[in-house]
Amino acid sequence: MSFLTVENISKHFGSLVAVDGVTMRVEKGECRAIIGPNGAGKTTFFNLITGMLPLTSGRVSLEGRDMAGIDPSHRVKLGMARTFQITEIFPELTVRENIRIPVEIAAGLRFSPWMPRAMEGPIRDRIDQLLDEGGLHRIADRLAGELSHGDQRACEIMMALALNPRLLLLDEPTAGMGDDETYAIARLIRRIHAEQHMTIVLIEHDMRVVFNLADRITVLAEGRPLAEGTPAEITANEKVQAAYLGGAA
Amino acid sequence: MGNLDLRKQSTNLIVCALLLTLPFWIDHVGSYIQLGTQIVVMALAAMALNFLLGYTGVLSFGHAAYFGLGAYGTGMTIRYLLPSTGVGILVGTLVGALAAAVIGPMIVRLRGVYFAMVTIAFGQVFYFIAFRWNDVTGGDDGLTNWKRMPIDLGFTTVDIQHNATAFYYFVLVIFAVAVALMAFLLRSPFGRTLIAIRENERRARFMGVNVNFHIWMSWVISCTFMALAGSLSSLLNNFVDPRSLFWTQSGTFVIMCVMGGMRSFWGPLVGAAIFVALQDYLSSATPNWQSFVGLVFVIVVLFFPRGVMGIFRRKATE
Amino acid sequence: MTQLILFNVMNGLIIGAFYALMAIGLSLIMSLSDVINFAHGGFLAVGAYLAYTMTPYIGFWGGLIVAPLLTAVLGLIVEKFLISRVYGRDPLYSLLLTFGLAFIFEDGTRYIWGAQSLPYQVPGWLMSPLSSSLFFLTGYRVFMIFLIVVVVGGLFFIMTRTRLGLRIRAGTLDLETVSVLGVNVRVLRNLNFGIGIYLAGLAGVLAAGQLGLQPTIGASLIMPSFVAIIIGGLGSLTGTLLGGLLIGVASGVTAVFLPSATEAVMYVMMAAVLLIRPQGLLGEEGRF
Repeated sequence: MSFLTVENISKHFGSLVAVDGVTMRVEKGECRAIIGPNGAGKTTFFNLITGMLPLTSGRVSLEGRDMAGIDPSHRVKLGMARTFQITEIFPELTVRENIRIPVEIAAGLRFSPWMPRAMEGPIRDRIDQLLDEGGLHRIADRLAGELSHGDQRACEIMMALALNPRLLLLDEPTAGMGDDETYAIARLIRRIHAEQHMTIVLIEHDMRVVFNLADRITVLAEGRPLAEGTPAEITANEKVQAAYLGGAA
Repeated sequence: MGNLDLRKQSTNLIVCALLLTLPFWIDHVGSYIQLGTQIVVMALAAMALNFLLGYTGVLSFGHAAYFGLGAYGTGMTIRYLLPSTGVGILVGTLVGALAAAVIGPMIVRLRGVYFAMVTIAFGQVFYFIAFRWNDVTGGDDGLTNWKRMPIDLGFTTVDIQHNATAFYYFVLVIFAVAVALMAFLLRSPFGRTLIAIRENERRARFMGVNVNFHIWMSWVISCTFMALAGSLSSLLNNFVDPRSLFWTQSGTFVIMCVMGGMRSFWGPLVGAAIFVALQDYLSSATPNWQSFVGLVFVIVVLFFPRGVMGIFRRKATE
Repeated sequence: MTQLILFNVMNGLIIGAFYALMAIGLSLIMSLSDVINFAHGGFLAVGAYLAYTMTPYIGFWGGLIVAPLLTAVLGLIVEKFLISRVYGRDPLYSLLLTFGLAFIFEDGTRYIWGAQSLPYQVPGWLMSPLSSSLFFLTGYRVFMIFLIVVVVGGLFFIMTRTRLGLRIRAGTLDLETVSVLGVNVRVLRNLNFGIGIYLAGLAGVLAAGQLGLQPTIGASLIMPSFVAIIIGGLGSLTGTLLGGLLIGVASGVTAVFLPSATEAVMYVMMAAVLLIRPQGLLGEEGRF
């Protein structure tokens, strides 16, 4: 049994078919990249996995558990955390508070009208640890809304990690970034993957990032799966070259 | 950071000092103690609303209804059931909380201006009940023929009925407890979850927060304190006016929050003080005071959207 | 008894038609501009009082035509110089702005025309009953219903057949795309606001003949209009029309059996709709 199993899922918007019968299996500890030209249905595919959109048909399961009828906030409790194409953070709060909120939620305190004394220390340590891992210590007391794009993205990734997920879904983590920022984010993801053995599924445009990070790659085109394989196999795949890599050049 | 804490602490100190000494200086600035009590009551109402509006980011425009429910609950308890101020306050507050808890599930799915429209429309039900149920509520004439009762503490009796200063301090104590409770909640993990919803609902949802349920809780808490404020207001006047539930009253609570500054804890208090004092002055100075109140709305929206405290804060960071 | 019920149903229909006229305008503005126009009732009152002032000079029919148009012009001006300044900001501000305007309008009409009720003269031949058994069926009532049907029909025509209407509807669904396509959104919102206010002004003139003139006439009609939108479904003009008529008739019938619940009944209906079908009778799902 695979860690994340996507079986023959489709999504129709009226007559428009955004995702058309995609199947994908992601193993525990794997880093999977999803690539494809614009309009290939990648983000819709993500939204189907995280439950933001209901499926038209097919099945998504996490560790064998069917996700049908489980709403997004509940899927988070089952171990799915995600980031968005357009960074979603808490702009009027400091970076530390941005991290603190998911840490407290993960500790089961979301309804707690006070901070239990015994939790204070562990929560502070956990926040510091996440700030360290994300390289956010130097900006911990600045408002998240005022940060650079790259720092905001790092903050968002650490917010997702603060939830102690078992599956991390990243929607174009380096979109709109310069080379330096892209490199920093890619290094951050690589470290999370290597050190925590996190299972990661990411959508990415930047091929350098994809080939640097991914264990396996799934190629989507017009909502359908075009190919799947290791980075080497995908580079060699003629269909992919014709439809995607060739088309892009 | 240390600077910010210092400023917060000094703001707290100034607010406490001003409120505690109010009976000693209010006469000297050409006003009277009842107006001071009125300001404290309205400040509690505005801060209760701001719990939802400013800290949870939910656009509620129907809070006058819960203010009125608290007022009627208290007045009717004292008049018909038991001549006890304490029981009256308790019943009034509970009635408001209960109504909010029942209406909550119907509205927490809604967002933005639609939420505003549904809450303000719902509020009208209570206005019509108060207005139509003549025999019990006094209808258009309001609920009369009752008085707040002295507080019996066992060893001594506090005569809040005749001593306006004693009543002021009585209201101030309740205000302090309510405000401290709200501050405590807002600084807790629960409060931070509410702020997370205000800041970015989608992010909060994808952190596993059941957003609608949290909004329901915040709504009930906010309406409960609102009912408490309404209860105190009825005690202040020994009277309940059905117009205190009318939809136009809801807007004035919102403008108090905005005028003072929604992002600041004491902002609504500042807004309430300005608004109450201004309304008191205008209504004695001109028969067209309502136009001036309307003008205040327009000016605040166009020129001072961050409110008084917002201006201070901006100055301080510059 | 049957006559009494019929009488009240008729009354309810007429009141419901006022609600619907108000609600359709409110709904147009809310859908395109994300603004709840609390001043809508104020515009209605202005329309009514303008007609009252003009009637001695240009007659009932002149007032009926000119007053709503003048009200619409006032609406265009208010939108251009005040309301358009808060587009794109937190919706809170537009609500407070129109709230303040509502206060100013109500007080302004009271200042100019006085607080007391004024009679509004409708041509005598319109006021006589059409039949002696159905005493309540005056020519004015039949005429009002006829006129409202014509105006709403005209509005539906504009919305479905003209370029302006199509652009307004497209803008309601996706304002960004419409502006990218080269439509001037500012002008579109301005005109849309004007249409909404025209309907309010017209409702004002008609209501004046039916209910008499008071400065609070608008404030008492606006909340039921909200209820009509919520019951009918935001974004659906047909739904809003239906919602208005429905609550009008429901109040009318309730007035016979349980007079004290005349107003409350519509809120009970609203609660039922919110519980069973939150998007409203004809609203699309997922809009809010």
